[in-house]
Amino acid sequence: MLKIEDLHAEIDGKPILKGLTLSVNAGEVHAIMGPNGAGKSTLGYVLGGRPGYEVTEGSVTFDGQDLLELEPHERAAAGVFLGFQYPVEIPGVSNVQFLRESLNAQRAGRGEKPLSGAEFLKLARSQADALGLDQEMLKRPVNVGFSGGEKKRNEMVQMGIIDPKFAILDETDSGLDIDALRIVGDGINRIMRQPTKAVLLITHYQRLLDYVKPDFVHVLADGRITRSGGAELAHQLEREGYAEIAA
Amino acid sequence: MSDAVLDLPSTREEAWRWADLGGLAAAAALAPIAAPEADFLDLPGAKLLFLDGKLDEARSDLHRVTLIELGGDEHALGRRATGTGWSLRLDAQAVTHPVQIVHVATGRENHLPSEIVLADDAAAEIVETFVGAGWQNRFTRTQLGKGARLMRSVRLLQPAGFVSLREAAQVGEAASLITVFLGAGGQGSRIDAQLTMAGEGAFVEYGGALLTSAEQKQECAVRVNHAQPNGASRQVWRAVAADRSAVSLAAAVEVARHAQKTDGEQSLRGLLLDRTATVNLKPELEIFADDVKCAHGATVGELDQRALFYMQSRGIPRTRAQAILTRAFVADALERIGDETVRKGFEADADAWLDAAL
Repeated sequence: MLKIEDLHAEIDGKPILKGLTLSVNAGEVHAIMGPNGAGKSTLGYVLGGRPGYEVTEGSVTFDGQDLLELEPHERAAAGVFLGFQYPVEIPGVSNVQFLRESLNAQRAGRGEKPLSGAEFLKLARSQADALGLDQEMLKRPVNVGFSGGEKKRNEMVQMGIIDPKFAILDETDSGLDIDALRIVGDGINRIMRQPTKAVLLITHYQRLLDYVKPDFVHVLADGRITRSGGAELAHQLEREGYAEIAA
Repeated sequence: MSDAVLDLPSTREEAWRWADLGGLAAAAALAPIAAPEADFLDLPGAKLLFLDGKLDEARSDLHRVTLIELGGDEHALGRRATGTGWSLRLDAQAVTHPVQIVHVATGRENHLPSEIVLADDAAAEIVETFVGAGWQNRFTRTQLGKGARLMRSVRLLQPAGFVSLREAAQVGEAASLITVFLGAGGQGSRIDAQLTMAGEGAFVEYGGALLTSAEQKQECAVRVNHAQPNGASRQVWRAVAADRSAVSLAAAVEVARHAQKTDGEQSLRGLLLDRTATVNLKPELEIFADDVKCAHGATVGELDQRALFYMQSRGIPRTRAQAILTRAFVADALERIGDETVRKGFEADADAWLDAAL
């Protein structure tokens, strides 16, 4: 589904990714772990197409299509979802409006009919319920006044509504207490654990991986994947630290 | 009459420092165009259509509005608007249907005075729309009796030319004056207002959204004078400037020595859609009373790039994301329009502007 080859990327002329290669197939969950500053979030932003993140070498294909050629909104319409480490507050724009615009823009991009207001609300309510997000929060401005945990749940509600093919989840576990972690983990499994879908989980810690079991774990250090393994590698990292294993 | 443009104040005078006086002359010199469609909203009540400053009787329905001889005031622009104009006078406790006025210009210049006089506890709603090209100059004198209420919405939708509005209002005891402007055309504009809260406990809300693009210049110069105690005033202005355009907002609150318990609020915010655009903000407070609350905020910024990327990453194309964020930015200024038909109409005008500008 996703094929990254020898990816080099820089911010303001500073190289961050230095030859990253990774393949993700449908039905797989991959975890990317690594120390601070290794380039984990940069990888997420490069895949999402954030301005200022410049790819200098290498390629990324998604379902055989050159992902780097696409505008960020076209990547979304192609089925890529980026869950933000720090979801952005948007004063004056309600969650409902934001989500409906998002979903219908993607549907339009795929040549599908927009959902009506009633159809959309039904979908949004069911996803909010499944993730324990108060219905009232759907009416509030996007992420404004939300706690850290509410913002992350809101990301998952968005993912549930948009129903992407491939999700890149950047530290979705940060800022969550233990109950919220389980709810979010269940949400990821419910929405994304399907044979036609795949997930790239970017995380610092093992704890989310207790709920969302990865098929592969990769260690990202200094802009490259230095080691790959199965779920057991995450446990080993947790025990021994990155310094030992990344080297 | 165009020669008279020359006796306008100089931009060296503080109140006129950002004024586009050249824009007035250029608008007055615009070649005649065919009259565009008159755009009335779907509301009951009076409908007045002024074509180049003269009432088009066949397409108007005056209801309680009359035409009378009116003078201007001492203001440089206000004094030009004298002669036959429209008048809405309501007796005590009278309530009328909305009054809609469309000002159509086909080029050159036209000047029109008007007056709104509401006796005690009377209530009125007025919607004015400017379309066409040329220089349209208006003087409106408003007088509100005790407990009277006026809701006025004014939209400037001329594709070209200039609209200048001189407004003078006396707001009586416990009376309420709400005025919302939307500048969403291609014309230049200047709104000059002197609002006096002449009775105790008066309420004034005066503001709006000025949206500019290309080389356009729009501005307001508003003074709210709290002459009596216990008054509350709000000035909420939003400026959006694209390309090489400029919006200037000068809003002053004056509080007289004995006008205690005054509550004055000013919120002036500018949004630059391009780095070549300009927004000038000048909040001004002159407070002589000692027991008052006057909050003021003035900020200019750009669209939040993080919010734009966030929206794009959810599938919203960049220009649409810009439009959504810009609309959210001006929403505060338009939400005060009480009548839903009017508010929706104004919001649609703002949307149309955004579609064209982004």
